[in-house]
Amino acid sequence: MGAVLSYLKPYKNYMAFAWLLMLVELAVELMHPLFMAKIIDEGIVQQDMGAVYKWGAFMLGTSLLAFAAGIINSFVAAHVGQNFGFDLREKMIDKVQSFSFASYSRFAASSLITRMTNDVTQLQNAVFMSLRIMLRAPLMVIFGTVMALFVHAKLTIILIITIPLMLFFLLKMMKKSSSLFRSVQQRLDGVNNVMQENLIGIRIIKAFLRWKYEGSRFQQANERLMAQTIRVLRVVETTTSVLLVVMNSSLIVILWFGFAEFSNGTATAGEIVAVINYATRIISSLSIFTFILMAFSRGRASSQRIGELLEEPEEQADQRWKGAAFQAGSGEISFEGVSFSFPGSKVPVLDGVTLGIQPGKTAAVLGATGSGKSTLFYLIPRLYEPDKGVIRIDGQDISTIQPASLREQIGFVPQEAHLFTGTVRENIAWGKEDATMEEIMEAARRAQIHETIDELPEKYDTMIGQKGVNLSGGQKQRLSIARALIRKPLILLLDDSTSALDVKTEESLLSALREESCTTIIITQKISTALQADQIILLEDGRIAAAGSHEELENCNDLYRRILASQYGKGGMPYAKASH
Amino acid sequence: MPRPAIRAHSHSHQAHLRQKPQIKELLPTLKRLAGYLARRKGLLLLVVLMVAASSLLGLLGPFLVGTAIDDFIIKEDKHGLLLLLIQLGVVYVFYSLSIFLQNYWMAGIAQKTVCEMRTELFAHLHQLPLSFFDKRQHGELMSRVTNDIENISSTLNSSVIQIASSVLTLTGAITVMLYLSPILTAVTLVIVPLLYVGMNWITSRTRRLFKEQQRHLGELNGFVEEAVSSKHIVKMFSQEEKIAMEFSERNAKLKKAGYWAQTYSGFIPKLMNMLNNLSFALIAGAGGLLALNGLVTVGMIVIFAEYSRQFTRPLNDLANQFNTLLSAVAGAERVFDMLDTEKEEQERKDLLRLDEVSGDIEFRRVSFSYEKGKQTIKEINFEANRGDMVALVGPTGSGKTTIINLLARFYEQDSGAIFIDGHDSSTISRQELRKHMGFVLQESFLFEGTIRENIRYGRLNASDEEVETAARAANAHSFIMKLLDGYETKLQHEGAGISQGQKQLLAIARAILADPAILILDEATSSIDTITEMYIQEALDRLMKGRTSVVIAHRLNTIRRADQILVLNRGRIIERGTHDQLVQEEGHYAELIAASEA
Repeated sequence: MGAVLSYLKPYKNYMAFAWLLMLVELAVELMHPLFMAKIIDEGIVQQDMGAVYKWGAFMLGTSLLAFAAGIINSFVAAHVGQNFGFDLREKMIDKVQSFSFASYSRFAASSLITRMTNDVTQLQNAVFMSLRIMLRAPLMVIFGTVMALFVHAKLTIILIITIPLMLFFLLKMMKKSSSLFRSVQQRLDGVNNVMQENLIGIRIIKAFLRWKYEGSRFQQANERLMAQTIRVLRVVETTTSVLLVVMNSSLIVILWFGFAEFSNGTATAGEIVAVINYATRIISSLSIFTFILMAFSRGRASSQRIGELLEEPEEQADQRWKGAAFQAGSGEISFEGVSFSFPGSKVPVLDGVTLGIQPGKTAAVLGATGSGKSTLFYLIPRLYEPDKGVIRIDGQDISTIQPASLREQIGFVPQEAHLFTGTVRENIAWGKEDATMEEIMEAARRAQIHETIDELPEKYDTMIGQKGVNLSGGQKQRLSIARALIRKPLILLLDDSTSALDVKTEESLLSALREESCTTIIITQKISTALQADQIILLEDGRIAAAGSHEELENCNDLYRRILASQYGKGGMPYAKASH
Repeated sequence: MPRPAIRAHSHSHQAHLRQKPQIKELLPTLKRLAGYLARRKGLLLLVVLMVAASSLLGLLGPFLVGTAIDDFIIKEDKHGLLLLLIQLGVVYVFYSLSIFLQNYWMAGIAQKTVCEMRTELFAHLHQLPLSFFDKRQHGELMSRVTNDIENISSTLNSSVIQIASSVLTLTGAITVMLYLSPILTAVTLVIVPLLYVGMNWITSRTRRLFKEQQRHLGELNGFVEEAVSSKHIVKMFSQEEKIAMEFSERNAKLKKAGYWAQTYSGFIPKLMNMLNNLSFALIAGAGGLLALNGLVTVGMIVIFAEYSRQFTRPLNDLANQFNTLLSAVAGAERVFDMLDTEKEEQERKDLLRLDEVSGDIEFRRVSFSYEKGKQTIKEINFEANRGDMVALVGPTGSGKTTIINLLARFYEQDSGAIFIDGHDSSTISRQELRKHMGFVLQESFLFEGTIRENIRYGRLNASDEEVETAARAANAHSFIMKLLDGYETKLQHEGAGISQGQKQLLAIARAILADPAILILDEATSSIDTITEMYIQEALDRLMKGRTSVVIAHRLNTIRRADQILVLNRGRIIERGTHDQLVQEEGHYAELIAASEA
């Protein structure tokens, strides 16, 4: 929590100023009964209109002063609260982006989102409130107690006993409700999660007519959230009621002892009335305490959740992250005995993979579902780190190279296109901030998507992404290829990214890619695609089953022959014929 | 960078802002909110009763304290005092109890109301046409269910009680004041118009600011959702800074709206304080003048000043509640906006129910466009008999997915008709229609849960054996058994943890389990290796027997076996026939095949 609150530091002067202004308001408020008494005693009772006007003017003047202080306080408090929230969110996005994949698996996307919006809002509210009324309640309590002490110390003893006890009780309850609020926020994550899943899967849900089923899943999350919210609200309200009973009982005690004091002649009726009055004031400021209790325990819970996120170790902090800048050469790639398994899993995804790809050449990776093809890809830009073995690019061990400088040289086309909300132009230029229109169109042409874009209602300015026009799967894939090509990468990684393309389009795309000077690795299921490569790598259960040219594999690998047969029938080998 | 769609959106937004909103304009939204609360009339009545009780007991307390001093302490009546203190104790206990109960019940009412609103919003979401989702960011919609509804939630908790008790005390105070001195009451009420003017001034600003704040919060939510779900790409392209910058832009907008919303709404209590003091000064001044003329007594002024405090305090509370009310209204408006979005075309009541479907499909002159002026498919005609396999072939964007979308009635065609077993499909309810269809779509939706639960999605009442049989048929069984917990393996969000191809195997198992009369496959086999595909093909062959299937496939093997191939280009069917027929025709299809064999 402390770590999160430290983000308030830059605003400490503002906060001091806000508190000062709050004190001005409070002082005026405390002075007003005095002015009131003067108006009545000196003015009305004495029938002196001059005195009425004089004190009335004082009253109005100070009110204006308090009003001004209050208005300025609004500005200052909002400034602190909003900037604090802004800073936190900025820090959080930086943090989230520096997450390693292990961290991503620890925080669900929906939870990251709740933390960055809802939790920050809760905390912001707590800060804003503390700058506006927080001091007020404790000051009222202190002021009331001190004044009562001056009037009659003995009668005030009960207050001196109960108030600290109550504060202690309040603190305890704050801790308790804070942990309850924490689970409220967690359950909010849960609601958010079902919601996100449903938005992603809306077509399937509609197709399978499962909205009732989804509805009941949502209802479950929803009711869990409701139950916990009700629980914590009731805890807070119980606290208030207990406080009220105890503090009001102390009034009874004061009256009882007041009787004795009065009988002994050690207290006047006026003194008793005064002490009772101060006690009443203290009690009425208790309602603010409930408010504070609620806002603070909620803010505390949220700040813990934000803190968790901010304390997550950054990928960059990892020793392996630091390293030399990548010296781009011709794009030679080699794997030497590389093994990898996901954290927490015993089964290796890749097991002792050794391979080499010559600069400027194209390699196709074939293999069954789950044989480790995608993982092989993720190791190259260091999204994953191998458990064993060395990967070299242009002779440099990539574990000694700064990932950012390495990734700059890599064009990556994922299985699912993942376009961003924005225009076509923005999406292609996404890989290269300073791209000119010519470069964008050139990349689109190479990715065989230029003509399609030209037919869109607003051409390169058409909106796409989550709230964009309907693009077909193949069109999205080609846009994502253009996004990779515009970077003029040294190494191009295509993760089965031509699967949604028809044969003809794929053919022209692949021949355009051959003209690029980069080293290319293509994950594919189609032999027809693999045939275009200089080298075919066959993966099976995380090991390399075979590597070589089509002819070599056809001659000596059984698995390869089976794949071939599965795609072209047993007798027909149209490709073999065509290539001879 | 130009962003036409967004700009258009904010234009309309600003047009809306130009007309100055007033307090009155809050009423429709508030009424609608009250409608939700009114569903729990009984409990709400109890809460109001408790509020009345606590208000009365709250007044009784000080009165008894006064009596204790005046009648017993000063008169040194110990027994009397003891009796009275016991009474006082009872009053305090009941006072706390009534406060406890009103809050206890209110927490239940408020949270149940909010829970209902969430459920309603969620249910409504599923009734919206797919085109609604095409235009919106996930995170933005999520923000309505969380951030906006949370705003309503926190307001409902406190506001109802506060407002009820304020109104009660206010009425009480005014009654007593009128009884004491109508003239001084009139003087006190001078602040009411001032208050109205001030509040109107503030409301006209904060109302739109709060709404803007919620909108920016929603947009930020949308952005974060997109960024987080594309984390691989961001890292791979080293675009962390770009994301951070774009985030920062939205963050700054949110800050600005939030700053002004908070500042302006912070004026309200200050204004109230100021008016309180003004009213007191007025009472003193006017009272003094009246006293000089002998119209009121001094004692009256003193008592009246006290009561005017009683009057302004609840007014103060009301004004403070107004703040939270405004932010709730901003949230509620966004929630209601969505609830008011039109559902999928309302269906007639007299729709056909289909218990049995044999699977004849006919498209008759079907045309459709996603956007006005740009037809995606034009005059599509084809027929498929029960058990037929129809393969859709053509370049990307030629309208293959659209045909499937229309067949499943995810979208409604602009003209023409689709017949299922000779019935116009628009006369069959969507539910009934989809009941007889099985889908394996491009994206395989997996949710957080076990593998078993994910397969069972195809038919919720399937037994464990049936689930496993389906998995075997889809060739998913062997990979599932290799996982640590087999069928009980928990899938992470969006099915993370298994490969893309494995996800599709699960999707196929799901469709097999559903056992439909019509099977729809959309590029479903593209990420599965060909050996696995061979097994799947066998399974599908078995599955397709006796079922009509419409398939978008890119592999020759699949296409070759089709009973009918439809070659699409730019939304039209340009060739049709079997593989052999089409090859002989030497048209587009033959060219496509040649290209793939070159």
